[in-house]
Parts: sequence; structure tokens; C-alpha cells
Amino acid sequence: MRIEKHPILEFQKGAKIKFLFDGRELEGYAGEPVAAALHAAGVRVLSHSHSHNRPRGFWCAIGHCSSCNMRVNGVPNIRVCIEPLAEGMVVETQKGRGRLDV
Amino acid sequence: MQKTADAVIIGGGVHGCAIAYHLARKGWQNIVLLEKNYLASGATGRSAAGIRHQFGTEINILLSAANVRRMEKLAEELDYPEGIELLQKGYLMLAYSAAQLEQFKVNTLLQKKLDPANTTVILDRTEIKEIVPGLNLEGVAGASYNPRDGHANPFHVTQAFARAARRLGVQIHTRTEVSGIEKTANRISGILTYRGDRISTPIVVCAAGAYGKQLGEMVGVDIPVYPERHQILVTEPLEMFLWCMVISLTHGTYFKQTPHGSILMGVGDPDHEVKDFNEQSSWQFLQDVARKITFHMPALQNAKVVRQWAGLYDITPDAQGIVGETEVDGFYLDLGWSGHGFQLAPVIGQIMAEIISGEKPLIDVECLSLRRFTENRLIPEPYCV
Amino acid sequence: MYKTEILVVGGGPAGLAAALAAAEQGAEVTLADRNSDLGGQLVKQTHMFFGSKGQYASERGISIAKILKEKAAATGKIRILTGATVTGYYEDKKVTIEAGDKFFPVEPQRVIFATGAQENTLIFPGCDLPGIYGAGAVQTLMNLHGVKPGNRVAMVGAGNIGVIVSYQLLQAGVEVAAIIEAAPRIGGYYVHAAKVRRLGVPILTSHTVIKAHGNHCLEKITIAELDEKRQVMAGSERDLEVDVLCVSVGLSPLAELLFQAGCRMGYVPELGGFVPFRDDCLETSVAGIYVAGDAAGIGEASAAMVQGRIAGLAAAASLGYGKDTFLEKVTEAGRELTGLHGGPTGEKIRTGLAKLTLLAKEAV
Repeated sequence: MRIEKHPILEFQKGAKIKFLFDGRELEGYAGEPVAAALHAAGVRVLSHSHSHNRPRGFWCAIGHCSSCNMRVNGVPNIRVCIEPLAEGMVVETQKGRGRLDV
Repeated sequence: MQKTADAVIIGGGVHGCAIAYHLARKGWQNIVLLEKNYLASGATGRSAAGIRHQFGTEINILLSAANVRRMEKLAEELDYPEGIELLQKGYLMLAYSAAQLEQFKVNTLLQKKLDPANTTVILDRTEIKEIVPGLNLEGVAGASYNPRDGHANPFHVTQAFARAARRLGVQIHTRTEVSGIEKTANRISGILTYRGDRISTPIVVCAAGAYGKQLGEMVGVDIPVYPERHQILVTEPLEMFLWCMVISLTHGTYFKQTPHGSILMGVGDPDHEVKDFNEQSSWQFLQDVARKITFHMPALQNAKVVRQWAGLYDITPDAQGIVGETEVDGFYLDLGWSGHGFQLAPVIGQIMAEIISGEKPLIDVECLSLRRFTENRLIPEPYCV
Repeated sequence: MYKTEILVVGGGPAGLAAALAAAEQGAEVTLADRNSDLGGQLVKQTHMFFGSKGQYASERGISIAKILKEKAAATGKIRILTGATVTGYYEDKKVTIEAGDKFFPVEPQRVIFATGAQENTLIFPGCDLPGIYGAGAVQTLMNLHGVKPGNRVAMVGAGNIGVIVSYQLLQAGVEVAAIIEAAPRIGGYYVHAAKVRRLGVPILTSHTVIKAHGNHCLEKITIAELDEKRQVMAGSERDLEVDVLCVSVGLSPLAELLFQAGCRMGYVPELGGFVPFRDDCLETSVAGIYVAGDAAGIGEASAAMVQGRIAGLAAAASLGYGKDTFLEKVTEAGRELTGLHGGPTGEKIRTGLAKLTLLAKEAV
């Protein structure tokens, strides 16, 4: 799902890295938003609504709407549309409102 | 608006609405409630809404014991299908010294003496850890804990009373501020509003919190109550992990998780908080409370703050409420609860209705009368944040 | 305490222009933006801008962002804080910033809010399915990060963003099934609309989406035709198989900080929602607080930059900077703004501004 050739834009990408999504190893580019890497890998369901558990994807892509909240490296409710991807990152779909490890 | 009433209640907080309901339940026909803003817009809606048995004075122990029982059945009693979000998973009061823990033990014995059904227990550090995993036990000597304590949603409790009161014929007028109270000789005769209404009434009940002082002045009654800003910080909603309210009297801190999932946290800071009617939030509070609560619960460093708010405690010289009649006939008070008023509303509402109806109240509250200040009978409540 | 003469909140076209104008007059400026880079939504605008040379016409948004950033750096008078979210404006006139692990108050003498806007949502059954995205969000995903939103897209809304993003989707190699517009006519600029039509994309005016279908993600939408009262015409329903639905039904100003600061606000639908009352120099009802860009009312980036310039000049002048050139510069900027708001395309904004002026008068 990556754009290979664009008439105007050239995409400068960081290093190709690996990260974990719900236990699955995926590839992405360092520094791009986690949501972009997931989307490029065909992952579109990022969270679920709190009351009815309906699947949700991203909506705004600018860190404003919280529709893309996921668990990243053990911290719940990370807005993955603006969270930069890093090597070895552990990204998980969270249950409901997100679990805080105490 | 009607021109006459049998009684007018000032204040649409949880106390005012509870009084209105109880009066109407007794058969009072023509009750009016005036609220200058909207229901629960003042201290009620801004409170952390704790409900507990654990107090240090006899009167509060008696009132709270009767009250928790009312709260448990309140939604049913008031036919309020939404529920009041009562979560009874305990209050954990942390002791930070052997002497403080000793005092908790003494208070627990007093609670059991006055209320044989009381379930307060003293916990050691291991037991505390089981109830609140993740709590920082640094400096903790033990705790006092009652599993039947808890918290509710103050908006729902207020609406439940208001709706039940309306069903019984009470007229509730919001956005209606009182501009004057009239008395003839030494007797209440009427009330005026900034909307230009005048209601002829022999009884005015003041349940206006810290605003009660100015209302008292309208009829020449000196009420020693003043406002003190308290603030609350709120996090994003998270899955439930903190079931009880945690309090440290030593740090002046408390925090809880609402059924919605947000963590509410506060800190009592009488030295720095403004003592006027300012309800603005401050960034200093945000920094202070975040620092203090993450000391108690380090994992909260990963919880995101979403908002904060402020509200007014109605503080009296002994941090106890003022209940009952005054030197002006027909002018009654229910205010000055100094931060623990929300939870006592159901039982105080009933007692106020009984007093106004000339009946013997469920619990004798003479010790909370306005007279106590001039007669030097203060009863300081130690369990306050 | 972090002190600054002028704090600009938001580093999009309005904020960058404001910071630049104030700094060029000699004021010391802090520019805070919650994103990792400045430029706001310019950084994903691959199309060329209209307007005159002063407003960077014939440049693409991405280039304008670059030019403004370079100019800002060149002044040497702007401290830039990126990844810095302004979280509040408090009663003691302090502004709080969260940046990474830090949270700190800032004491500014003047504040210019250039907080921008957010995309509106559209409510219909299934509207929360993954695959239904804001058009701006899709633009970000595609033009900034080089990821396609899907294979076959339907666009709701034939305003400027709707038609421009449709064209950009085609550029990225994504099929656009249709542009669906509830109004009886196309709202966007004619040149953009004509371009997508030439490439075979139908623009269905007087149409709306009534339902989205899909198991976990969007698979299909049902659209229908609307009558002159904007009611669904029975029997006109039909399905479109798409895996992405872009929603481009307008923007709302991000006004939270303005509300919190106590600025008096008016609700003006033509400007996108609640916007602050302000004078010709964009100073709000709270002395020392200015507004610019979409936060002042939804408009074009070109106008946002001119507004930013006006607010920046005025804030600087109020602190004694550039007083001798202020009148001349602000008059010129005012003329440019009037020009940008002129003509038939500016009608909505002109109506909105007139309404706002009236509301402000009534509120006094």
C-alpha cells in the first residue's frame, strides 16, 4: 500500500526497521507514524469503541481525535497517528479504555 | 412564577434538592426551589463525591452510617433508573506514622461503638498492597479501610432528588438568583429574585454553600462560613484498576477512579488556595497534584491529563456543617459542610424536613446548630482533606 | 519561568506568518507547535496556490512551508518549540506547555492563537468503520507518509478540499469512484473540479451517503439522491463498492484555548463555528490576545498568512516595535486580505464576518 512513484513528491524515509504488532513482526520506516506503518501493512483496525466494542481506525491523522489509541511499549492510549515508529517497538490493540500497568 | 409558597429553598445543589424532596414527601404542598445557575452547578457537581463511614467525630459517624444505608437504596427509593453510579469498594485512609495509625484505631473503635454494623478495619502494609496494587508504601504505617465506603456521581444524585421532588409537586426554578429576603418583625415574610419576582413565604431554607453568608446578611444573621477553592485534576478514562478512594491526611491528598474510568485527584492546600469565589483552575495545582499523586501511585505517570476544574468548599471554623434554625423565625440553614457535604445530603435532607415540620429529627443535630459558634461548642472534624 | 514577548500558538501558515512579521519588526517571539515539524497543513498541500505574489501564489503548499520556515530561522529572533502542546491559558495570564516529558508555564506579554481547525464528521449508520477517514487525514497519510489509504475511494464533499484531495488520490494511483455532494452544485474551485472530471471521476451533486457496510472495515457504501429539500428520494439508493470513504464536509475552528482565555465568542456557521470577536488588527476581546488563521474563521491558507502578518505586526507594535512602519504595513496587509475575500468565492466569508461584527455589537 506504499506509493511507489509520485509525480510531485519524493518520500524521504528513515531506516527500514522491525516492530511487533499484536505479537506479529512487521516492517516499517523509522520515524514515520506507527499508524502509517500499520496501514501500509494492511492493518486498519486500530482500536475499539468503549461501550459497544466497535472497530475503529484512525480519523484525523493529526493527533486530535483519539480514534487511533493503542498500547505502545506497555503504555495505553498512545495516539499512533503521530507516534514515531522505532526499532523493536511493541504495538498492541488495547481492550476498551486501555489498561494501565500498576 | 407563583406569588406565594409554604417554603422556599435557596440552592439547587444536592442538599437543596434533598430538602425539597423530603419536605414534599411529608406532604408539603407548595415548595419552591431557587437556583441561580443550573442544578449541581456549584460545589455539588465539582466535588469528588466520596461516601464514607470513616469520620472522627460522633455526629459525623452517626450521620454517615445512616447515610450510607440510604445511598445504597437511593436510586430505587427515588425511582431513578439511570442509577447514581454508586461504587462501594472502600475508602483507604493511609497512616504515615505510628501515632496516626493509633488515632485511626481509636476512631475505628468509636465508629463501632456508635454503629455496631460498622465494617471499618485496620490494615497492615501487605493487606494495603492487596487492595491497591501499585500503591507506593514508602512511609506508610498502615491504613484504616471500610469496604462499604465509596463514591457516587453527584450529578445523578442531585437529579434523582430533583426529579422525585418535581414529581411530588416541587417547583424548581434554575437561572433564578435571589436578590433579597424579607422579614417582618423577626419573621421571614418573602423572597425576591433578580428576575423581578417576589414570593410571599414564611420559610426560607438556605442551602447555598459559601454564598450563604451574603444571604444571611439579608436578614441580619451572621453565618461564619467562607469559600475556599479546591481543585480536581482528571485523567483520560482507563480500564478499572483502582477500586477504592485513597486518602492521605498527611499529604492532604486523595484520588479515585470513576466508573467512567477517569482518575480524579485532589489536594487540600488551605495555605495556597484563594478564599474568595474564584472558580478558575490553576496550573500550580496541576503541577502540585500530579507530583503528589504520582508519589502515591507511580504508574499514573503514564496516564494522560485531560482536564481540571475547581469548586468551592464552604468552610466553617470547625469544618462542620451548620444545620437547623436561626435567630430569625422561619430562616433555616443547611450549609458549611467544609468539603464532606455531598455524601450527607440524603440524611440531612430528611433531618431538615423533620426540623422544619416541627418533628423530632432522626438524629439529634443540635450540636451542629449556628448557636455553637457563639456558645463556643466547636467540634472539629479531623478526617478532612 | 520561561518568558517571551510574543507567544504564537500553532506553526501553520497563520502562526508562521505571525511569528515572522513580529520578529521582523524586532519583537522577540516564541513559536510553539504540537507537531514534530512546523508548517501545519501546508506540509501536505501539493497543489499550487492562487492569489498574488505576496501570498506565494503559484507555489505549492509544501514549498511555502519550507520558505516560511527558512525565513523564520533567518530572523534569529524566533525560538521554535516543536512537539510542544499548549495545554492551557490560565487566570494569571500564564500559558502552559507540554513538551515530551516536560510541563512548564510560560509568561508571555502577548499571545497569538493560530491553532487551526479540525475536520467535521458526518453521521450515518456505520460512519465509524475503519476506512472512513477525514479527507485531510488521507492527505496526510498519502502526501506526507507515502501510504495509500486503500484501493478505491469515494469522496464526500465537493468543496475545495474534496476536489483537491480527489485529484491527489489519483496522482498517488488510487481509484476515485465518485465525489458525492449534498448541495446541488460544486463548492470547490472550478479548475480543480474540472481536472478530476476530465480524469473520469463523476461528481454526484444532490447526493449523500446513507449507510456504510463492512465487517471490520469499510467494504461498501449506500448513496442516494436528494430532492430540493435535501430529503432522500425513495428508490434512488444504490451501492458503491469502496474500501475508503473520505469525508470532506468542512472544518471547525479549534477554539478551546480562546474559550479558556475568556475571549468573547460568537457562533457563525459561515466561519465554521465559534470564533472570537476581534478588531481589525485581530486582537480579541481580551487585551493582548490575538487570533489568526482558521481559528479566526475557516478560510484559505493564503488569507491565513495575511491574517497572521496583521496579528504579528499589531502585537509587535503594541510592545513598541516597528511603530514607524506599522501603519503602512498593516494597511497593505488589510488591502491584500480584502482582495482575497473579494469576488464570488469570498462571499461566504464576507457574510460570516458581517454576522460576527453584528454579534459583537449586540453583545456589548
